[in-house]
Amino acid sequence: MALHSAVKGKLISVIGDEDTCVGFLLGGVGEINKNRHSNFMVVDKNTAVSEIEDCFKRFLKRDDIDIILINQNVAEIIRHVVDSHNSPVPAILEIPSKDHPYDSSKDSILRRAKGMFNPEDMF
Amino acid sequence: MDENELEKICDTLDRLTLDALTLIQEEIELKVNAENAMIGGETHLAKTRYILGQNSVSSLQLPSENSSEFEALTVVHSSTDDFGSKRFDLESYKPDNEVYMNPIKWFGFMPPQNLHFAQNLYRQALQWIVQAANVQTKLEETCVQIKQLQGLKRKLTTTKS
Repeated sequence: MALHSAVKGKLISVIGDEDTCVGFLLGGVGEINKNRHSNFMVVDKNTAVSEIEDCFKRFLKRDDIDIILINQNVAEIIRHVVDSHNSPVPAILEIPSKDHPYDSSKDSILRRAKGMFNPEDMF
Repeated sequence: MDENELEKICDTLDRLTLDALTLIQEEIELKVNAENAMIGGETHLAKTRYILGQNSVSSLQLPSENSSEFEALTVVHSSTDDFGSKRFDLESYKPDNEVYMNPIKWFGFMPPQNLHFAQNLYRQALQWIVQAANVQTKLEETCVQIKQLQGLKRKLTTTKS
């Protein structure tokens, strides 16, 4: 713990609906940095897909972010971008939202892992 | 020699496959735990809205790019263990009203008890999520190892035949 306090930790960013963002920011993950850049994005029905995509790519490029939390229904909208991320950092975690319960069959990483157990590849 | 090597690769593949299946199950369980904590948090947010009014707990209260800068209360530290696996650890700082502000104050200075309950539940969800992130990283590493071994096995079996 002492070691942790000496080094500044990395951020957890959030892309999701209002309740997800309000909740996790209430939990303390939110930050506005010196350049006035936030580490969260509230997505509603009027948010353009390109905006979500740009924000997600911006978070991927930031070296002060270690984990990106994204609502699974939002991840579905930009699935091609989420699937193309292969690096372990930042880790992308698909989380449920109020209206969309967690579905492991849609999860990018789990789908990739399950795909490995294709009987043709096993032998 | 090749026969022995092939057997070793098959054994390791069996073990790694079992590991991957266990990790998949573990990750799903952790995410379900996080989901339950989030559902609890959402219920308390709804109760707070009932007490304070519909727009009292919304994105309008969240800081925007025009707000003054502030640092995150909860951050993650990543480390690499002896086997080269990445691990995330959660750290929360105590709010001091200078560098680290308690986010609950965005919603008024006398927030209802339900907002405190919601805050605690979302903190719990974060703990589950960071654990899920660790399991997910391990799963990705296991999948890479499985892929490498499958390639090696394919190479050995084709040279044999």
